[in-house]
Amino acid sequence: MTALPWIDIVGYWIGIFITFCCLSFLYKDNPFYKLIEHLFIGVSVGYLIVLQYGENIEPKVVDAIFGGGVDGAWLALRVVALVLVVMMFAKVLQPRWAWLGRYPLAFVVAFYAGLQVNAVAQAELGEQIKFSAGSIDAPKVDLNHAEPEALTALPGSSPAIATKWIAERAQRPFASLDDAITRASLSPLERGDLAAARGSLVGLDAKAAVSPGHHDGFGIVSNLLLLAGLLASLVYFYFSVAHRGPIGGISRFGVWTLMIGFGASFGLTVQGRISLAIGRAYDVLGRTLAPEDAARVHGPLVSLVSIGLITAGILIWERRTRDRGEGPGADGES
Amino acid sequence: MAREHWSERLQRFDRRWIFLVMAVAVVVPLYFPLGLPARPDPMTKAAYNAVEALPTCQLDPVTHQPVPGSPRCARVFISIDLDPASTPEVEPFYRAVVLHLKRKHAQLVIATTWYQAPPLVERYLRETLDVAIAPAGTDGYAGAPDRAYERNVDYVNLGFRDGKGAIIQQFGTDLRSAFDGRADDGTPLDRIPMMQGLNKLKDFDLIVLVSAGSPGAKEYVQFVGTREKLPMVAACTAVSTTDLAPYFQTGQLVGLVGGMAGSAGYENLVGKPGAGTAGADVLNIANLVVIAAIIFGNVVFFAGRAHRRRGGRS
Repeated sequence: MTALPWIDIVGYWIGIFITFCCLSFLYKDNPFYKLIEHLFIGVSVGYLIVLQYGENIEPKVVDAIFGGGVDGAWLALRVVALVLVVMMFAKVLQPRWAWLGRYPLAFVVAFYAGLQVNAVAQAELGEQIKFSAGSIDAPKVDLNHAEPEALTALPGSSPAIATKWIAERAQRPFASLDDAITRASLSPLERGDLAAARGSLVGLDAKAAVSPGHHDGFGIVSNLLLLAGLLASLVYFYFSVAHRGPIGGISRFGVWTLMIGFGASFGLTVQGRISLAIGRAYDVLGRTLAPEDAARVHGPLVSLVSIGLITAGILIWERRTRDRGEGPGADGES
Repeated sequence: MAREHWSERLQRFDRRWIFLVMAVAVVVPLYFPLGLPARPDPMTKAAYNAVEALPTCQLDPVTHQPVPGSPRCARVFISIDLDPASTPEVEPFYRAVVLHLKRKHAQLVIATTWYQAPPLVERYLRETLDVAIAPAGTDGYAGAPDRAYERNVDYVNLGFRDGKGAIIQQFGTDLRSAFDGRADDGTPLDRIPMMQGLNKLKDFDLIVLVSAGSPGAKEYVQFVGTREKLPMVAACTAVSTTDLAPYFQTGQLVGLVGGMAGSAGYENLVGKPGAGTAGADVLNIANLVVIAAIIFGNVVFFAGRAHRRRGGRS
């Protein structure tokens, strides 16, 4: 493996410094944070402009129109696109021409509306309604007759286990779940996975049987709860009837259902934010690098130097602000 | 002057102490890992099973061409739609799933619809495809070794295309024209043998979406997946998990790997713990800090309210 080039090492140092500049906002808004904020915007816009030019404008407009790459109707289409782009910028030249910008905007809005209506109707409404309107029954998977997909979907199962089960049951039908998970063709690891997935509530015992006609009680309760939650949530958004009496109670249940959904979203959002912190900690400590590269980057040392520089800088800035008799400005405690 | 109640003092508690505790909770487990279990959830297991169900072709050890009588190699489309901020959550999944796919000798076609992604994608290709991720003798790895893939032979990088939902729809109808018939390095797709018969997303055995937001898994499901009934697995940030989970329930996604915890689960299934597993350890500790902070805040709030009701100062 080739060693990390010097330019990348310097890049890591800058990354560590920038990380602590961002974190300095926890103290209060300060010049280091402002510097990074402006740098981020500038770099993002610059990168986007270069990328858009290289990926779209140059090959699809400049080369196509002036390089003779396309002709006929395709050329006309690209000229139309160019005219629409120019119309977008009309108000920059003269504010009274701002109305010209509405045509390309209308085109974009109509284009995406057309795409979205079809896509959302099919993927969001159609499929979700079909699923919600399904049977509330939850039959157990019959290990002696089920299709490979159904066997694979069982807790602790896998495509390999499903294939082995099908071969095993062809020789001798399963007499019990214990029999199914201890057949000779299963590897010790697979047997371990299946044994760990046992459970009468949501585990293998709840989902699988060795004869038809068995039902997953917890699954049925889950489906009923899902249906009740869905209907109650819809009632909450039905405003043509006063939410009093029984309707009020159902609406209240709908609110609770929605709150549980929002709670799950919030919990996952917190997890996502912590993951960001973990990612930065990884980079700062050099955990994303090979050990020899991490030793050259000296992440912890660079972190200490960065903290020292930022602290000294903020102290100087505070003193100057105080000497000038100014307030500290907007602080981080918003 | 009446003495201030403890709950009133704590209500002025500087929240930056919580940030400091959180920083300690994040950094300390990186040095002293606890090794808490990261069990895969059913959605992650389903994603693993979808990859596992792909055919595994047998290759000649010298030429790396399928031997006679071998099943054909699986062909997988990977859309890497992320930015640097989302890498802690979905990059571990990408590395694990690529190892999983390489073990099955799958042929990979890679693209991205995020303008921030191309530099990251280039790095990922260098680190995961151009070299072996887990060659024989890798510490802590008992699975089958993988090998270095060759660009435009075993994998093709189509590069970046802007256009959000519209371009994803075009991937579904004419993948080649969406990329002007060329790979990212300029090679005409017609001259790449593994691209034979690959003209649209429907031609792939599996679509893997490494999706940090929009455009991403949601748009793939909406614009092509549902209509074409494509087998798609997605990895997403924790924030997006509740948005995408309904697609898993309905079968529009055959597997879903949510956030860092999901990535850790996938790593464990593949048998090569990495950044996701180590991160999940930290995540568990940090979650405990968040729970403690919520309990602390509620205790202070209810104690303060009880004090006020008893006639204390407001």
